[in-house]
Amino acid sequence: MPYLLVIIFVVELVVQLINTIGATTINNLIWNAYLSLPTPLAKEVAEQRKKQKEYLAVRLELNATSSQDEFARWAKLRRQHDKLMEELEKKKSGFEASRARFDRYLTTARLISTRGAQWVLPWWYGKEPMFWLPYGWFPYYIEWFASFPRAPLGSVSIAVWQWACTGMLALVFETAVGIMGLAAASRQARKQRQKQPVPAAGAGAGTGDSKKEL
Amino acid sequence: MSAALVNVDDGDALEPTLQSILDQRSLRWIFVGGKGGVGKTTTSCSLAIQLAKVRRSVLLISTDPAHNLSDAFSQKFGKEARLIDGFDNLSAMEIDPNGSIQDLLAGQGEADAGMGGDMGGMGGMMQDLAFAIPGIDEAMSFAEVLKQVKSLSYETIIFDTAPTGHTLRFLQFPSVLEKALAKVSQLSNQYGPLLNGFLGSNGALPNGQNLGEMMEKLEALRATISEVNTQFKDERLTTFVCVCIPEFLSLYETERMIQELASYGIDTHSIVVNQLLFPKPGSDCEQCTARRRMQKKYLDQIEELYDEFNVVKMPLLVEEVRGKERLEKFSEMLVKPFVPPA
Repeated sequence: MPYLLVIIFVVELVVQLINTIGATTINNLIWNAYLSLPTPLAKEVAEQRKKQKEYLAVRLELNATSSQDEFARWAKLRRQHDKLMEELEKKKSGFEASRARFDRYLTTARLISTRGAQWVLPWWYGKEPMFWLPYGWFPYYIEWFASFPRAPLGSVSIAVWQWACTGMLALVFETAVGIMGLAAASRQARKQRQKQPVPAAGAGAGTGDSKKEL
Repeated sequence: MSAALVNVDDGDALEPTLQSILDQRSLRWIFVGGKGGVGKTTTSCSLAIQLAKVRRSVLLISTDPAHNLSDAFSQKFGKEARLIDGFDNLSAMEIDPNGSIQDLLAGQGEADAGMGGDMGGMGGMMQDLAFAIPGIDEAMSFAEVLKQVKSLSYETIIFDTAPTGHTLRFLQFPSVLEKALAKVSQLSNQYGPLLNGFLGSNGALPNGQNLGEMMEKLEALRATISEVNTQFKDERLTTFVCVCIPEFLSLYETERMIQELASYGIDTHSIVVNQLLFPKPGSDCEQCTARRRMQKKYLDQIEELYDEFNVVKMPLLVEEVRGKERLEKFSEMLVKPFVPPA
């Protein structure tokens, strides 16, 4: 069953990817992608962002206006500020609710497609051999382990295949993350070295000279 | 008459008088409010005097615990409406928001006791509830006043309110109580059978209180107050006159009050700017001219900001505005704009 081998591998790959990147990050990415689609919700969110910007501008202006010297202007700004804030607050809860709903659907779908598959597939195909080991190459206890728990002796069971995929992928991901971390760290270090200020000796001498000239 | 009074300087500004209030015959409730010490009582008395000239009967009610009506008219007023000396259609009364709720609760306790049984707890529970909800005391006292006033058939009632802040806080009250009631009734529905197991079949609480009865009382209270609300939120029936002085804090409070009133849905379209200084030309009073300058600054701001309001400018007099004659003279300026000595 070659396709099952691939499916198991893909499921494990996805699980590893999610674990490495983080479920929240993925949710955020998908949410943003969803918002970039031309849906009514996306339009509302864009409007909300615009209003938020407007609100911040009004707030800045309000803070820059003296309430004692320009009361009329200040009060008008204040009214605008309060109105905008009220509108924003009112909409915010609605958005939060739809975001929560979206997250819930996404989490459910993710759990079913990864954790669900991780459990259901080995249980369903438990008795089927994934592929056969060459006859007589391995001792009994290895053949017994490879067919654990329910596959016929001499074959590799789906559970063992899954376990092997997980181990291998975990190793690969850890290595990749480690290498990336190292690369990032070295780049940071190089940048910091570049940023290090030039010793003040030259500049100090210069000012000293100018002082002397004075 | 009113057309002649329109300020010719800027045609789009509303006339600087309270004539519109006098002309609006449907008005039944007029509130006068503002920060402490700006002349609310003087303004409300003056407005009452002016209204008395054009209405059949006018009642002036002070809800400020520091009652000033007696001072203003040099006559003692109490909880009962009483004609003011020298008028035949202008009465006044002073009510104490806190006093009236205590009276109410005390009366209820007695009534319960009269029904027989140890009902002390009921009063206690009602009292706890009554003081737990913000503004309920005022709401109840307003409800009481409304009940009284309805039977008295006054054409217009003027409220001289307590300083800004919690005067009309109770107007958001029905929604608060509605929510609370919904919660309580939900609880009693859910746990009613359980509670009845404890309480006996008629739902009597340990102190001889009755759950259903109490819910009924609360419901009745809510109905009364929501009726008050609908009356006060109707702009044909109710308006609010803001009194302020041209100083920053007073102006700030006024702006806040106007916004608050707008959020409650109470109509307001008049501002009385009180205590304006008009020093005589050539006066060498340093303080007067400096103050005049400051007042001018805020007056300009007021006119810019409240262009949809009747802004009435009242001068600061050299004498205290007390007694019928002086009040009458002062009240003239509410309808005929004061012309500063040139």
